[in-house]
Amino acid sequence: MEVTFEGEEQDPDVRFVRGTGKYVDDIKLEGMLHLHVVRSPYARARVLSVSGGITGNELKATMESVGEDAGGKSAVSFPALSASYVNYVGQPVAAVLGLDRYDAADKAEEVDVQYEPLRPVIDPEKALASEPIHPGMENNLVAAAELGKEFEVKAPIEIEETLRMTRISPNPMETKGMVAVYDGSNLTVYASTQSPFSWREGLASSLGLKEESVRVVQMDTGGGFGSKGGIYPEYVVAAYAAMKTKRPVKWSETRYENILSTNMGRGVRGKMKVYADREGKLKGLKADILVDVGAYPLGGGGWTARWIASQLVGPYSVPRAYATAKAVLTNKVNMGPYRGAGRPEAAFFMERMMDRLADETGVDAAEVRLRNATSRRTTSPLGMEAPPSKQLFMKALRAFKYSSRKKKENVGLSFFMLIPAAYGGESAKLAVKGGRVKVWMGGSSHGQRHDVFAKSLVSEELGIPQDVIDFQHTDTRSISGGVGSWGSRTAILGGGAIVEASRSLKAAAKKKLGKKYSPARLLEGEYEAEAFFKPKDLLNTLGANMASARLTKEGNAVVDEVVSFYDAGKVLNPFMLESQITGGVAQGIGEIMYEQAIYSEDGQLLTASIADTGVIHATEMPKSVVMTAASRSTLPHGAKGVGESPTIGVPPAATRALEVLLGRRFTTLPIEPEKLWATDVAGVKEVRVR
Amino acid sequence: MIPPRFEYAAPKSVREAVDLLKSRGGEAKVLAGGQSLIPLLKLRLAAPSLLVDINRVTGLDYIRESGGFLRVGALTRVSTLNRSALLKKRYGALHDASLTIADPLVRNLGTVGGNLSHGDPSNDLPAVLLAAGGELAATGPSGDRSVRAEDFFVGTFTTALAQDEILTEARFPVPPPRSGGVYLKVEQKVADFATAGVAVQVSLDKKSEYARVGIGLTGVGPTALKATKAEAAMVGKRATDRKAAQEAGELAADASSPTTDIRGTEEYKRGLIRLLVTRGLERASQRARRGA
Amino acid sequence: MPQTSHIAVEVNGVKREADVEPRLLLVHFLRENLGLTGSHIGCDTTSCGACTVLLDDKAMKSCTVLAVQADGRKVMTVEGLGGHGKLDPVQEGFVAEHGLQCGFCTPGMVISAYALLQENPDPTEDDIRTAISGNICRCTGYEKIIESVKHAAKARRRRRT
Repeated sequence: MEVTFEGEEQDPDVRFVRGTGKYVDDIKLEGMLHLHVVRSPYARARVLSVSGGITGNELKATMESVGEDAGGKSAVSFPALSASYVNYVGQPVAAVLGLDRYDAADKAEEVDVQYEPLRPVIDPEKALASEPIHPGMENNLVAAAELGKEFEVKAPIEIEETLRMTRISPNPMETKGMVAVYDGSNLTVYASTQSPFSWREGLASSLGLKEESVRVVQMDTGGGFGSKGGIYPEYVVAAYAAMKTKRPVKWSETRYENILSTNMGRGVRGKMKVYADREGKLKGLKADILVDVGAYPLGGGGWTARWIASQLVGPYSVPRAYATAKAVLTNKVNMGPYRGAGRPEAAFFMERMMDRLADETGVDAAEVRLRNATSRRTTSPLGMEAPPSKQLFMKALRAFKYSSRKKKENVGLSFFMLIPAAYGGESAKLAVKGGRVKVWMGGSSHGQRHDVFAKSLVSEELGIPQDVIDFQHTDTRSISGGVGSWGSRTAILGGGAIVEASRSLKAAAKKKLGKKYSPARLLEGEYEAEAFFKPKDLLNTLGANMASARLTKEGNAVVDEVVSFYDAGKVLNPFMLESQITGGVAQGIGEIMYEQAIYSEDGQLLTASIADTGVIHATEMPKSVVMTAASRSTLPHGAKGVGESPTIGVPPAATRALEVLLGRRFTTLPIEPEKLWATDVAGVKEVRVR
Repeated sequence: MIPPRFEYAAPKSVREAVDLLKSRGGEAKVLAGGQSLIPLLKLRLAAPSLLVDINRVTGLDYIRESGGFLRVGALTRVSTLNRSALLKKRYGALHDASLTIADPLVRNLGTVGGNLSHGDPSNDLPAVLLAAGGELAATGPSGDRSVRAEDFFVGTFTTALAQDEILTEARFPVPPPRSGGVYLKVEQKVADFATAGVAVQVSLDKKSEYARVGIGLTGVGPTALKATKAEAAMVGKRATDRKAAQEAGELAADASSPTTDIRGTEEYKRGLIRLLVTRGLERASQRARRGA
Repeated sequence: MPQTSHIAVEVNGVKREADVEPRLLLVHFLRENLGLTGSHIGCDTTSCGACTVLLDDKAMKSCTVLAVQADGRKVMTVEGLGGHGKLDPVQEGFVAEHGLQCGFCTPGMVISAYALLQENPDPTEDDIRTAISGNICRCTGYEKIIESVKHAAKARRRRRT
């Protein structure tokens, strides 16, 4: 029993406007069962007994951290189904199978779980002193790091601030899901994923299978934003259920389940202190980063604190810096990557300090940044390499018409560095047969439409028309290896792999055809080439945002316009670039004004619908203007990463624009709605900006 | 998110619907637009044994003025209110409110009767009806009756409707000349429930003093509230009296009992009531002077 | 045995009959019973609009209507747009202006846009924003969707004249 893509409309645009895309939940196989997961209603409890369905007493599998989440061995084991303790609301404890989703939902009501509720640890600041949430641990600290060297410096300006970015639900429009098929020896999984190869690794490990016997096929995937780059307990349970019943099993979660059980992004506190002279030149930076990991450090919470600390200096130069970073467990769903994954936190913390520095010294916000930007490649005292930034930022300011606009408008700026997730490289494969070229990528689109640049690169390299190129769904059986799509990596790495594979394909054809070689002759033959591209050079790139804010006639502050100026290298497709950046702008605006996960004291998630999580509509979207600096990278196709830039650059710039407009200091995202009024509606005490 | 099992009936008349409700005691529920009820069923927060779908009952979808009232049939869709020129001209608060309810897709199904009878303190139409001093018509086993708006909203998700009664009509008094109404709603994003909302309906006399003032509040109490002290305080005041309007705002804020939730703190919501009532009085009286 | 009701619904111009449980949601009837998987399910709170279809020519969210309620009525899903291999101008607009990325919200957006243009052939940008305010997109930031609808409006007007 197999899902095939034969006869599929090749152009995803056409496929999607016709409604003929094939997402996981669209799969229908004979004899297919539906899996419904029974979840903990408590943030922390002892499971006294569980009866009915598949339980943790039967399936003793634990989870491995893979893909974008991967951070080495975890000190805590994360069960696919918990039979002893539950540590967040929504944690899977049992699963039932039904003939359809109605039948499965009814059967779930028959599962009986007895809990002894325990007092949950919710506040990450208090978690360090609280009793450990997992038995056998000494405390809730799962990672601690020190970066740079402790220092003392005398400086006329010293500014301290505590800044926060609240947790956010990633909310891809398609929730998580899969269909598992087992034929007695091989497991095939149809997945909504950012990384079929990570799924293969994770499922094989959790279920004790050989990787060769697990095949993962990526379906059309309705967004991920970081949340589909690793694996989740439900995947293991559904695969197990297929193996147990020898029938296809579909698991397709509801939005409610998605919000409860999907790794959340952000949830980070930064204590920042900058030392500077009266002209605004930085003399030192100290920071303490605290990450709310949630219940299990497998989503990336373990490595995020250090990762944020390492890039705090951003595109600037500072003679001395010292940072401490801690990650603590709480009784919440795991923290995980969400568009930017640590980069937005670092940029928000640093850019807020730059604005404070501008206010304290009276130096213009752009000027203070330029004074700390660099004209050569640097390595910060915290260990991160940065390209020269000053020239690009000056270009950005000119493109923004910053000096004239700041006279008339309330504008905010941000300068930042984007560090793409280049580790591990990426693969691509090309096969020519019957006059057509098939293209596979190791990590491919979950909504970014990589097919667009993939086809244009192949067409350019081979000199063939785009309409003979068929972009394939990533399938672990069709390509020998791959990593995944996240961290602004696919255009640079996957694109590079496509260029390399195209070139070796062409070389093979030339070798065979000799002087008779032509693109048309190439298409007449049969060739195959696969490349695994690993860049050697620094791929960190730069970006700047400017935002303006205004008051509505009702007296509310809104962000009016966001201008992005990003060094995107050679732009592979301007339409997709603009669309992707503008989509990121929407997420940035959501993050500063609406989006957050709010927990009650007993760990219940109060924002458990897509409306309450704060995703914006067309009506809340400001104008977005996208500009790019055309500076080719050293990669064969000249591209640079860009996917995460807007969620990094927009929050600090837009927050500043609102701050300038309202004269109020903002340190926590999202900004509370009562603070976005021109008048003091709620009688709130506040810090005024000078 | 799968509803529990229930039985289903789609009667053709109000009488038949009432009989069905009566036959099940409290176990049956009326399905009108379904935009609140079906989500509750999906969450399994409601589990009626029978759904009485009244969408096939004819004669409950109308907007007309007669007998001193604007009469809106219970099955009138919110989107019909959106498009009504009569409402836009003469029933500003109702028209405003109709445009803030949920989103255009939900408004195509959601009904006036459903919005009023769900008893949700965050729904927008109850405050409008309270401000207008309107009433509701219901049909039960023993016939028809009318209930004044201020007697209708009993508690959160509870109204004066008996289990075997069906709301058939909402009645808004036809305003005298020099009247105006507004509905002001603060919501975080479009389609959100109100953080706070205020309906104001005023009539001015020839000296441009308030002859009648109605103020309804959304989302700041167990039910929609009628700010009676604020209403009374404004009667006889000049329409341009800013200070009086601010005092009315204070009185209405005092009368509200908001709770802190994900939409904001208690203090913030009270502050919004203060602001919106003051602003609402100004705008309603502007409309009154323009004759809207 | 649970109660079932016999329903006959005209879906995309074709009469479809079935015996369904009253609790069956219209979106599930379309997707599971009829195999019309273009209408997607993105939430459970009537918020996202991925399931938007026309019911008797009005756009609504098919996750918040029971299949039995559609008995004797007309439903049009995204699959019913265009025809004979041709795209409807609204669909063409989304293709021409790249008004989509992951495609998941697209069918709902397309239907909402279609309903808007049926009623208002020459919408302003604000009209468009309001008309799609019951549809959530997480990828595009909406701008290219709005461009797509403008494009479609122009194309439809050209086709008429």
